[in-house]
Amino acid sequence: MRRRMIWGYVFIAIPILWLLVFSLGPILFSGWVSLHRWDMITPVAEMPYTGLENYDYIFTRDNVFPKALGNTFLFAIGGVTTNVVLGLAFALLLNTKIRGRTLWRVLYFLPVITAPLALGVIFAFMFNRNYGVINNLLVVLNLPRQGFLNDPNQAMFVLIAIAVYQYVGYYIVIYLAGLQDIPQDYYDAARVDGASYWQELWYITLPLLRPVMLFIIVTNTIGALQVFDLVFATTGGAPANSTMTVVLYMYNTAFKYSRMGRASAMAFVLFGIILLITIVQLRLFRDRTTA
Amino acid sequence: MQERNLLLERLGTALKYAILIIGAIMMVFPFAWMIDASLMTSSEIQRRPPALYPAEVQWQNFTQLLDVLPFGRLYLNSLIVTISTVIGVLFTSSLAGFAFAKYQFPGREVLFYIILATMMIPFFVTLIPVFYIVRQLGWIDSYQGLILPSITSAYGIFLMRQFIVSIPDELIDAARIDGAPEPMIYWRIIIPLTRPALATLGTFVFIGSWNAFLWPLLVINSRDLYTVPLGLNTLRTFAAEARNLNLLMSGTVLSVVPTLILFIFLQRYFIQGITLTGLKG
Repeated sequence: MRRRMIWGYVFIAIPILWLLVFSLGPILFSGWVSLHRWDMITPVAEMPYTGLENYDYIFTRDNVFPKALGNTFLFAIGGVTTNVVLGLAFALLLNTKIRGRTLWRVLYFLPVITAPLALGVIFAFMFNRNYGVINNLLVVLNLPRQGFLNDPNQAMFVLIAIAVYQYVGYYIVIYLAGLQDIPQDYYDAARVDGASYWQELWYITLPLLRPVMLFIIVTNTIGALQVFDLVFATTGGAPANSTMTVVLYMYNTAFKYSRMGRASAMAFVLFGIILLITIVQLRLFRDRTTA
Repeated sequence: MQERNLLLERLGTALKYAILIIGAIMMVFPFAWMIDASLMTSSEIQRRPPALYPAEVQWQNFTQLLDVLPFGRLYLNSLIVTISTVIGVLFTSSLAGFAFAKYQFPGREVLFYIILATMMIPFFVTLIPVFYIVRQLGWIDSYQGLILPSITSAYGIFLMRQFIVSIPDELIDAARIDGAPEPMIYWRIIIPLTRPALATLGTFVFIGSWNAFLWPLLVINSRDLYTVPLGLNTLRTFAAEARNLNLLMSGTVLSVVPTLILFIFLQRYFIQGITLTGLKG
């Protein structure tokens, strides 16, 4: 029995050590760094303690960080709303009697498994002001050319569209699984009572999909708040910081300008927001399992 | 009345397929456009308006691309990193999942909760410290710097534990009575029985690792160790200056094709994994 206990410890030794060194330890260290001024060259023991100065700076004196935070929220809200609606619409379509369901699923899913960096390259090309195919289609349709990624008023919306394109297939699959969990009996009973399609949708499908929808909203929000590769590959935060997001700005602050303290403070602010959303998620799911 | 209903139903079906087809075209269009442009000349792309298709298919774009960027080397590096990461994650996740599911030891619950908690830590919060640690270990510009930090996954451990819990204890006890040592039980019983879960987890880790960009960008400096996304990024800056957009698109084709092929063969496991994380997680 004792020997078996030892095997238990042996089996978890590497993962536990790894999570301590590469996950739990770093998060504590990161919190510590956010209270200091550090360029990563100064030895850790000698970095000057600055208290909450970094937090104060990024909110009151840094004019990019608040903007990046706002942009990131806009990106998340725009993308999540569209994914929730569009994903549901297509999942409902795919959940009816339809030929070649696997084929549809594969087609809608292709962008999900493609590197965001590669999609960024393709879309930067397609949305180019001068030679992009989207502008050429507009010209063919007698519509004015657009700046798209070069226009500060449009760039963020183009990024949202790309992000929706990339992930909507993922949410379609999750919705589909949720739809298939709804017992057919409910629909049969409703049909006996003469309910229309829209009544079924409103009184049966949507209420029963609520947990799935909440899951999609929360995970999609958490993911969208961390966007990096896509922005890096398309605009790099330009024009005029209109697409600067928190993680991209944090990356620049840390690895371009060597301001580890400020970057860590930014990371912690975003982490706090994500943690809040996670707690909300856990509560919502607890409600679901007890109800 | 009945005829009218039939007509409406037909119309509805036609509309349904029309929407699905339009959606699918929109999904595939960027890929099709990328392949199209990868076979044009650079001037065809930059003409205003650009050509819709190549006047003559430029297969040499791909050979020219190989002069600029050694894709063979990029593939090799990405394969080494990705396969090592997959093996590492599958090994550590299944071992730890096995221990958490089937062994009694003091601290088991607490440690499992700690692992669950680390699942919530986003990558960007740990980026600076992990980079610092990897640098202190002298792993900058090395395969181990790319691979070793990610050979464990809290999510993987969680997934494997959930799966292994449902394996009957009798199977394990019978093996013990036959005198099998614990590692052999893991190798001969647990691994074969968890194959579907391993396939699901493996597919996820493969695609995540193959597509990873930010971490390799930080850790790798020398071109000999570039992974595919790093190569694509270099090509991106190079193409913007030299206006070699056709080569940029050929490079993008080469960078996404492996994941697309892998997905087409393993999509069943992938979809399964999503449904699992999406609803039962």
